[in-house]
Amino acid sequence: MSRSSPHDFDVLVLGGGPAGMVSAITASQHGLSVGLIDEQAEAGGQIWRAPWAASSGKDASPEVRDGHKMRETLARSNVSCLFGRRIWSVTDQYRVEVLGADGVETYQAPHLIVALGAHERVIPFPGWTLPGVMGLAAATIMLKAHGLAPPKDWVLAGVGPLLAAVAAGYARKGHPPKAIIDLSGPSDWLATLPSLASRPGLFKQGVGWVVSILSSRIPIYFRHAIRRAEGQDRIAACVIGPVDQDGHRVAGPELSLDCDALMIGNGLVPGGEVPRLLGANQVYQHELGGWIPDCDRYGRTSLKHLYAIGDGAGIRGGAVACSAGQLAGLAVAHDAGFIDAASFARQSVQPLTENQKLAAFSAAMAHMIRLRPAQVASISPEAVICRCEDVTRQDLVCAAKAGARDVNQLKHFTRCGMGPCQGRMCGDIAAEILAQEHQVSRQAVGYWTARPPLRPISLQSMLGRFEYSDIPIPKPAPL
Amino acid sequence: MVSAFTRILANHHELVHFNVDGVDCVAPAGEPLATSLLAAGYLMLRQSPNQHTPRGAFCLMGVCQECAIHVDGQIAQACMTPVRAGMDVQLRGVV
Amino acid sequence: MSTLHDLIVIGGGINGATTALFAARGGMDVVVVDRGPLCREASGVNAGTLTMQMTRVALIPYALRAHQMWATAREWLGHDVGVVVCDGLSLAFTEQEAELLTFRAGKRREAGAPITLITGQQALQIEPGLSDKALLAGHCRVDGYANAYLTGLAFRTALLDAGVTLMENNPATDIQQTSSGFEVVTNQGPVRAKRVVIAGGVWIEEMMGWLGIDLPIKTLVNQLAVTERIPTAMRTVVGIANGLLSLKQYHHGTVVIGGGWQGVGSRDGGACSLLPERLVGNIRLACHAIPALKNARLARAWTGFEAETRDALPAVGPIPGITNAYVIGSIHSGYTSGPYLAKLLADQILGREPDLPLFPIDRLLTPEPHAQG
Ligand SMILES: Cc1cc2nc3c(=O)[nH]c(=O)nc-3n(C[C@H](O)[C@H](O)[C@H](O)COP(=O)(O)OP(=O)(O)OC[C@H]3O[C@@H](n4cnc5c(N)ncnc54)[C@H](O)[C@@H]3O)c2cc1C
Repeated sequence: MSRSSPHDFDVLVLGGGPAGMVSAITASQHGLSVGLIDEQAEAGGQIWRAPWAASSGKDASPEVRDGHKMRETLARSNVSCLFGRRIWSVTDQYRVEVLGADGVETYQAPHLIVALGAHERVIPFPGWTLPGVMGLAAATIMLKAHGLAPPKDWVLAGVGPLLAAVAAGYARKGHPPKAIIDLSGPSDWLATLPSLASRPGLFKQGVGWVVSILSSRIPIYFRHAIRRAEGQDRIAACVIGPVDQDGHRVAGPELSLDCDALMIGNGLVPGGEVPRLLGANQVYQHELGGWIPDCDRYGRTSLKHLYAIGDGAGIRGGAVACSAGQLAGLAVAHDAGFIDAASFARQSVQPLTENQKLAAFSAAMAHMIRLRPAQVASISPEAVICRCEDVTRQDLVCAAKAGARDVNQLKHFTRCGMGPCQGRMCGDIAAEILAQEHQVSRQAVGYWTARPPLRPISLQSMLGRFEYSDIPIPKPAPL
Repeated sequence: MVSAFTRILANHHELVHFNVDGVDCVAPAGEPLATSLLAAGYLMLRQSPNQHTPRGAFCLMGVCQECAIHVDGQIAQACMTPVRAGMDVQLRGVV
Repeated sequence: MSTLHDLIVIGGGINGATTALFAARGGMDVVVVDRGPLCREASGVNAGTLTMQMTRVALIPYALRAHQMWATAREWLGHDVGVVVCDGLSLAFTEQEAELLTFRAGKRREAGAPITLITGQQALQIEPGLSDKALLAGHCRVDGYANAYLTGLAFRTALLDAGVTLMENNPATDIQQTSSGFEVVTNQGPVRAKRVVIAGGVWIEEMMGWLGIDLPIKTLVNQLAVTERIPTAMRTVVGIANGLLSLKQYHHGTVVIGGGWQGVGSRDGGACSLLPERLVGNIRLACHAIPALKNARLARAWTGFEAETRDALPAVGPIPGITNAYVIGSIHSGYTSGPYLAKLLADQILGREPDLPLFPIDRLLTPEPHAQG
């Protein structure tokens, strides 16, 4: 493994989304040497993700334009961009193992900012594993970065602002969904209006979405959810039914919609694996998406010189991620002795105020996409929860009855979460099912123990070139 | 005939040929392989290794592993792999 | 006044759980207290290898009998714990390793393990997945593996069926000797019993301290890794001469890579971590033995604690000077041999003559002799 000096940088930033980029730039502006690591080839994260082929400026969405702007700032900064590198291990004293095009590399720094974002939550239903059923976040990536529209007959379902953003985005490109299935009702949307008052830009964007959706005459089924998807080797239809405001199934007609694709999302789950791996204290915050590292407002975790920001530290959205990035960048600069307390306090005022202003809006959005326990309670027994291992709700319920009380025990009993996605797709739902079975809190059932590698990596790529005699085989075990 | 996924991003990248289970396919160089496969009508990319049910790209952000297939003999996530000329793609998942 | 049980077992790993099971089947009223759920420490996270070729020579007679128990787990435990009995190969890639293997296999054979030495070519016939680089192999028909993560589920059901009282997620913090026996202080209150078994894995040192006995226990931090499901790459258990590799593929396709490479961490809490360079070393060794593994992806790696006494032999038997108190632990390759040793201990507790001698700890309580080889 290549290894330059014990400390390659003053601070390493993991994740090149808004939070990571801004914190890296801020720290670097204060004189720290910064390494920014991301597995994508370019910075941007999910929201500012760069289109794979340069898109012409005029039809680029505001997010794409913001992303371009921030990438330019990053390019002008002294931040060392270590992109195209998959992070697979983080150990204490902040030693980060990555896999790049040239194999395994190691970076180390006395300070570590983790900004690895979130992943999507989808409430399972029978048939959600069929090809053609995809995540809502996947839909935004297709729209903005991959440049792909779903087949003509496609259905959009789930909850939250992404639903509107994706519907409007595709409508403008001439590919509106044939129906929108919204768990929320109009009253839930109206309830978010006051929080938008302080954000004229976002308000305007929201109005734009509504106009696009209405002018495309897309039928909207409020307070409905997908009951199941049908098809052989790909989705052919989805069946929807009414729900109450908590997502619980209610009586009412089911409706079958023929479709060639279904894009669905029910919010986001913070990806807190790195702080967890390092042993930082965790708290369960339902409204922030689930388990998150316990942080102060600068992103300082319970572990010295470990910071966690962005959606991985609680779902708050892109705008908050930027000011959180500034705050963490300043905190690192202060904690590493690059700026004094007075300067830290002075410079923190603006991002702290900004965060305060955004709080109501970000809370309203997070509330909209929160996990609704009743919706989990409505999942049918035969629905697959763990896609990797084909573990159904029924299997989990049996394991709970056999005595599994925490999620790691559940994993042992069923293999749920043991597959290559490492429990990211099923973790939140499996834990909720277990908690409901025992009628206990989410705290009581815990979270998956974090394990390396942070993403599956091929053994080949870890090996490097070696001779048998190079393997540092420890001394023989006693006879 | 089911309708297909279509490209909506203008690009001037050179079109390259690659192989999917022996069938010749064309896509702009550098496009994420998952996109090229969807555009070519390949929705089912593999079967789940336990119950052998059909699976396709799901999250497109490197998390779900449903698009892990064989590219030039190695397991690769199609959503994270740019298309290159002459690529040999096998839709057989990891097993 | 709370019930006076016949026996309290502190620690529900493989050793404590099996002792409890056989004591209960022998008619005792038994309670098991564990800090967490059953078998979620070493006994739930180990590599599950049931092999003679990594077992200490002194333990071979026990391991052979324990292997038989594992092979018939369904009968006495009620659950098969995924046990597969198959051939085992211990490889030598260099002249030096061949020498080591010849010596070690010979010693184990003397102790009763049916190990024969075969050429690399012959080994390839037994295991077609093997690389052609092995010079020599130890071949043993008594080998195999279990699915360790199923241990808790299996024992939980069996213990409840046997009428054992389970107190999971209930740490013990002290033991008091009373006129009727022992009172164990736990988070859920005192638990009283006539007899006590200390079976706390790497934590037996602390527990022995509660009884005023100093039994130093070294903590090994073993690293393990597992691939995602892959096509069949191997059908045997594969190791190397010095014992630092263990490999097997489960029926569902995952391959577990172990061998006792050490991570860092302490048994007193806090995060344990793997040393990435050691993981890479272990994986290089694995791919050197079974080349097809190169194509697999690593899904997960973890660490677990294994206990070791100063002579690396088990601590199993009565606790000197304290009537009706027993200890069991620190059994090398203890997942393999644990059930049999635990059954012997249960026999002793039940007043029966054990079929083979235990490993009393008196030898470990004297000051360490100077000339240690
Ligand atoms: C990674 C790894 C791989 C291994 N691979 C193999 C292998 O392939 N083959 C093999 O034969 N052996 C293997 N071993 C060894 C084997 O796992 C152990 O020898 C065996 O499991 C030890 O069992 P135990 O019951 O003594 O300890 P444990 O299983 O550790 O059980 C001790 C129990 O005590 C409980 N406890 C601790 N403190 C308290 C307290 N204060 N109050 C109440 N309860 C408490 C713990 O919660 C735990 O459940 C491996 C070990 C490790 C760590």
